[in-house]
Amino acid sequence: MKRKYSVGNGLSFLLLAGVVGYFIGLGIDAVIMKNIRWTAPVPSAFSLLCAFTAFFFGVYGYRGITRGLVYQVVWTLIGGLLVTGIRALLGLSAFGGFFFTEPAWVFGALVGAVAFLFGVGVMDDWVKWARGIDTPEFHEDEPGWEKYLGVSLDHKVIGIQYTVTALFLIAVGGTFALIFRTELAASGLQFLNVGMNLFGQNGPQLYNTLMSLHGMIMIVSILLGIAGIINYAVPMLVGAHDMAFPRLNAFAYWVSVPAAVLLLMSLVLGGFDTGWTGYPPLSVKAPVGQQMFFLGVFVAGWSSILGALNVIATVVRMRAKGMTAWRMPILVWASVATSLIALTATQLIGLSFQLVMFQRLFGMGFFDPAKGGNPVLFQHLFWFYSHPAVYVFVLPGLGVISELLPVFVRKPLFGYRWVAMSSLGIALVGFLVWAHHMFTSGMNEYLRVPFMYSTLLVAVPTGVKFFSWVATIWNGKISTPTPMLFVLGAIVVFLMGGLSGPPNATISVDLHLHDTYFIVGHFHDTIFGGFVFPFFAAIYYWFPKATGRRMSEFWGKVHFWLMTPSFFVLTFGMMRVGLLGMRRRIADYDPAQGFDTTHLILTIAAFAIALSVLIFLINFFHSIKHGEKAEGNIWNSRSPEWQVPSPMPAHNYETPFEVVGEPYDYGLPGAKYIEFMPAQGGKH
Amino acid sequence: MAHKQDKASMLNQGVFIFVYLAILTVLEFLVAASFNSTAVLIAVALVKGALVVYYYMHVYKLSADHEGDHNSYEYKTGTNRLGLWLFLISDAFVFGGLLVMRMNLLGLTRPHLNQLLGLGVTSILLISSFFMNRGETMIAHGDRKGFLNNTLITFLLGLGFLIGVVFVEWRLAAHEGLTPSSGAAGAVFYMMTGMHAFHVLTGLVFLAIVWINGRRGLYDEKHYPVEAAAVYWHFVDVVWIVFYPALYLVGTAIV
Amino acid sequence: MRHFVIVGILVIALAVLTYVGLNSAGLMPVPASAQAGPIDWLWDVQVKAMSFLFALIVVPMLYSLLVFRRKKGDTTDAVHVEGNTTLEIAWTIIPLFVVLGMAYIGAQNLGEIRRADPNAMVVNVTGFQWGWSFEYPDYGITSKELYLPVNKQVLLKMTSRDVIHSFWVPEFRVKQDLVPGRITELRITPTMLGDTYKVRCAEICGTSHAYMEQPVIVVEKVAFDAWVAEQQALAAGAGQTPEGRGLALVTANGCRGCHSIDGAPGVGPTWFQLAGSEVPLSGGGTVTADDAYLAESILQPQAKIVAGFETQQMPTYNFTEEQLADIIAYIKTLK
Ligand code: HEA
Ligand code: HEA
Ligand code: HEC
Ligand code: CUA
Ligand SMILES: [Cu+2]
Repeated sequence: MKRKYSVGNGLSFLLLAGVVGYFIGLGIDAVIMKNIRWTAPVPSAFSLLCAFTAFFFGVYGYRGITRGLVYQVVWTLIGGLLVTGIRALLGLSAFGGFFFTEPAWVFGALVGAVAFLFGVGVMDDWVKWARGIDTPEFHEDEPGWEKYLGVSLDHKVIGIQYTVTALFLIAVGGTFALIFRTELAASGLQFLNVGMNLFGQNGPQLYNTLMSLHGMIMIVSILLGIAGIINYAVPMLVGAHDMAFPRLNAFAYWVSVPAAVLLLMSLVLGGFDTGWTGYPPLSVKAPVGQQMFFLGVFVAGWSSILGALNVIATVVRMRAKGMTAWRMPILVWASVATSLIALTATQLIGLSFQLVMFQRLFGMGFFDPAKGGNPVLFQHLFWFYSHPAVYVFVLPGLGVISELLPVFVRKPLFGYRWVAMSSLGIALVGFLVWAHHMFTSGMNEYLRVPFMYSTLLVAVPTGVKFFSWVATIWNGKISTPTPMLFVLGAIVVFLMGGLSGPPNATISVDLHLHDTYFIVGHFHDTIFGGFVFPFFAAIYYWFPKATGRRMSEFWGKVHFWLMTPSFFVLTFGMMRVGLLGMRRRIADYDPAQGFDTTHLILTIAAFAIALSVLIFLINFFHSIKHGEKAEGNIWNSRSPEWQVPSPMPAHNYETPFEVVGEPYDYGLPGAKYIEFMPAQGGKH
Repeated sequence: MAHKQDKASMLNQGVFIFVYLAILTVLEFLVAASFNSTAVLIAVALVKGALVVYYYMHVYKLSADHEGDHNSYEYKTGTNRLGLWLFLISDAFVFGGLLVMRMNLLGLTRPHLNQLLGLGVTSILLISSFFMNRGETMIAHGDRKGFLNNTLITFLLGLGFLIGVVFVEWRLAAHEGLTPSSGAAGAVFYMMTGMHAFHVLTGLVFLAIVWINGRRGLYDEKHYPVEAAAVYWHFVDVVWIVFYPALYLVGTAIV
Repeated sequence: MRHFVIVGILVIALAVLTYVGLNSAGLMPVPASAQAGPIDWLWDVQVKAMSFLFALIVVPMLYSLLVFRRKKGDTTDAVHVEGNTTLEIAWTIIPLFVVLGMAYIGAQNLGEIRRADPNAMVVNVTGFQWGWSFEYPDYGITSKELYLPVNKQVLLKMTSRDVIHSFWVPEFRVKQDLVPGRITELRITPTMLGDTYKVRCAEICGTSHAYMEQPVIVVEKVAFDAWVAEQQALAAGAGQTPEGRGLALVTANGCRGCHSIDGAPGVGPTWFQLAGSEVPLSGGGTVTADDAYLAESILQPQAKIVAGFETQQMPTYNFTEEQLADIIAYIKTLK
């Protein structure tokens, strides 16, 4: 009985359902459109959805995520049909080029996303509460890996769910990047041209869709990745048995799954061509895919907001005895700073996207100059979130760097309080700089100089971090296992990214740099240095805590030494062509500008990065079962979670601990950070 | 903080605050009608909001710390309070964004709306907050019947507000040519009232839930859900305290 | 102490090396406007600062990594150092003044590149999906190329017909978005003759954003005047005949951003020898380019797609019957 479900099963189901789904879609499309359209979006959409659902069915059976996906598909259709029916009754056009009309798709997609939550089962307890039924504090999870595909309230399970989802999205977004990088390898359209018809799109249109989705999927994957790190680590670091609101925590994770489905649906429903920023009026004119993109981001935003709320409440209310503010591990500080931004600013990107959605659906003229609207207003609302968001991306990563450095250097974190305060400083100043993305936008002229000042100010707290790191490393006894390699890589890469920030912030220079590959290079550097490298470091570091096994050191080092140089080539090349005049978001470039060779090298570097990530993924999944056993404190860390054997028990510390010293007193004889309290019994 | 008071003084306090709020609302209306001063309107709205936040939503309870067992009901209630307030802070940013949008697109003009109706629905919502406060005070002192009656009144008033805005005001406005697609003013008006109405609707759902559960005999000492529904309801009221002048009073009306 | 001296020397060495290395690669396109001067100067200052700061962090890091590496078999911790408040204050205050200084210089620099010449020549720029049209109000002409006299400031007054675009000539450095419903301004003083510059749209604006490029030609004053006179003569003659009015319409609507009239390739098919020819259609078959087909192609471009142009999109236009007839008459002259 136990082996009824398996990955092999899932894969064969995936293939089968993909084909079956395609023909179902083809049939539906043919009935409605009275025409067999082989490359129409509807068959591909059905194919994809059926394939995904069937995969999970084969792996896991009809429960948890499978049920959620089925609910989502079915209710999307029901919701869409409802609107279609109403429209038919009102005498409006019932079906459109993408099968449903735009309002029907939007409503259906919204209903489908909510239905997913009911299907997967995260709403069960709340529904019971609403009916006045109490539910137990803890759910027992299934043993083994199966708990990861259903609703669990355990923050460690949720942390891993986030992490794996993030890795999946990185792979998807990265694959998109590989596709469009292939097109960019030479000027002219060789690959994404007429012959390449995907979901009814081709040529530059397809390029635009892939490029835009690459941006947003990667950004969502970052949000999920940091949620993974924070969820996994923070409760353990503060000595709590779970997050403050475990159900809300599960909810926040499961919201992100239908969000990802919505984002991918935009690929199928005509795509969109605005980049991840979705500026109107272009985003008002784009196909239905744009709406799915907006909706997907909107839903993912809720994941971010609720997750942030939970983190703050956990840190404020659930710390172990004796853990005063100045004795919190540094990653906890970083998580709080991040969460403060995510909690508040995220609402604004939600609002800005919602306004465009309404402009499209109801003709509301927010950003339509003909109706007295203002296109630049959108940019203000959008960047009010999206700038602080970049600090959401990096603060936890910088926290990971600060957290791991002392362990591998065997020295206290230099200037702990300064490093902690610099996170808050970055977060707060980060709220005041958004308009540096708009120096050329035609906004009020007098705003530009103040925003230049505030933007440059961010360099100060960031510098404090860098200098403190260097001082920590200085004179340490440094060893370099894989996590430390990624930490060191992160510092150098983020430094390059950070230093390419001030030129963008100085207005006159930005007038040249804006919307070029220099910016693309800048943010790949900051994102890789601030998120991707630390994320890998964190995975290599905490993997044994989660599984009781460690990942292969050898392949870890191969991963690092392949990825880092390729990455330098990639971003240096980007900045170089950018300075020489390569615009962003173009499918094809003027051969006269002489970028062909550089772009070819960039594409090769991109594939090398992908290869290294592939190695990582194999190492990751292989080590879960076959890695070398590592149950003790293998990094010789002072952090509380390493004082108990791995893997961590379900409700964390069996005996609570009390904080009795400073977190990073490496090298101080007799110093202790925590002390386990004598057992009292009856408490977890 | 003096939050452990007896029932009668708590109820009295509710009445006083309501009287202040009512006076301020009338004042606000008169200011707008006579010497339309944006600064005064903003000041009045801030005072009203602060009164509700302090006396009806009792923010001060946030700082009341319960030492001791992290698993006790008191401690968890404290955590829940913090969670709810964090949510409200987050939500406030949406409404803040809407206000920014309104100022950016309309400046010191406003849509031409039915003033009496506006004052009417505003009063209804304020009165509902008054009754909500009574309901919560009563359950806190073990008076289930009083709690049920007052919550029901709150619910009905809330429903009245929703109907007043969505079914009466929207219709009237559309009749006068102010539709979502008629221009920036229409877009702003429907967006702001619509977003607020959506929150009123969720508030009504919460009220219905606590009312039904209250009838079933839930909520004795453990009545945090009632408090949560009440705080949320007052929050929706605070938002309207700001939106009402922003839509109906500030600046000059354009047709 | 020895360590600090070595690191200090290495920092300076690496900083110099980085700066020289970067600079010798030739980072910027040729500076062809008066605005490019200050910008390139400031950029150079920043490259210097970046090189130094990069070395300042990386050198001590790598040095520690090599010199303070854990010896094999050593399991002890390092010396316990918690921090140093003086140092922390120093590396907060010094960067603070550096960035304040940089912002101050930046503001001065911005002032310099925005200095207005009251006698600047005005050009009205219209952007649309996916092309540009340039109107010279002083001379009453409209052109698809941006002709500019050298060393004279031009004031571009720009707006967009549909979505946001961005005006950028990399050699001139500065860029400015074109926003529908408002007029944005940009001042440029070209300083270098040339006909290889292009205005390249820098804000994504849909399918053919990559191809929204049109020539910018900088000439001597004399040549500019001659060009203006020629264009004026053309425009004056044009109003009389249908072909002439057609040409004017075609220029004003930016058709020639995509369609060449001499057989050269472009975003759209060339109009050279189009009328009356057999046009191959996407998906097989041909159609004769008679008046009806031409009219349809203009009013409903998506109705019949020309083979080889499936990935490009032509915007939909609205013309009156007469205007349409004029345009078709003009296209017919292109033999
Ligand atoms: C992941 C995150 C991330 C981070 C951390 C940053 C960090 C910074 N960014 Fe970046 N940025 C992005 C992600 C990020 N950015 C993205 C995604 C975009 C493009 C969005 C889009 O359009 O799609 C963008 C675009 C962007 C622009 C707009 C460019 C344009 O489109 O025209 C600007 C302009 O000011 C800017 C500036 C900065 C600055 C000043 C910092 C600073 O925080 C950097 C601070 C760090 C240092 C300076 C280095 C270390 C400091 C020292 C060693 C101390 C001494 C230093 C000095 C005295 C200078 N960024
Ligand atoms: C987390 C953020 C992130 C990450 C990791 C990346 C990673 C990469 N990015 Fe990304 N990029 C962005 C965020 C990111 N990017 C954003 C926000 C934009 C802006 C979009 C916009 O303008 O709107 C952008 C834009 C952008 C552009 C500019 C496009 C344009 O303007 O036209 C380019 C061009 O080269 C590019 C390239 C790459 C490459 C080569 C990688 C490589 O590192 C990718 C490496 C490949 C992988 C990581 C995949 C490896 C996995 C496998 C091989 C396994 C496959 C298995 C399965 C599918 C199961 N990116
Ligand atoms: C953004 C680019 C663009 C602009 C601007 C543009 N076109 Fe086109 N045009 C195209 C493309 C691409 C095609 C081929 C695809 C098609 O048939 O739709 C085309 C096709 C045509 C054809 C049919 C040509 C043939 O070979 O059969 C005519 C006629 C035409 N356009 C006229 C015009 C006129 C008149 C204008 C201006 C008022 C104009 N175009 C503006 C891109 C453009
Ligand atoms: Cu116009 Cu891009
Ligand atoms: Cu920014």
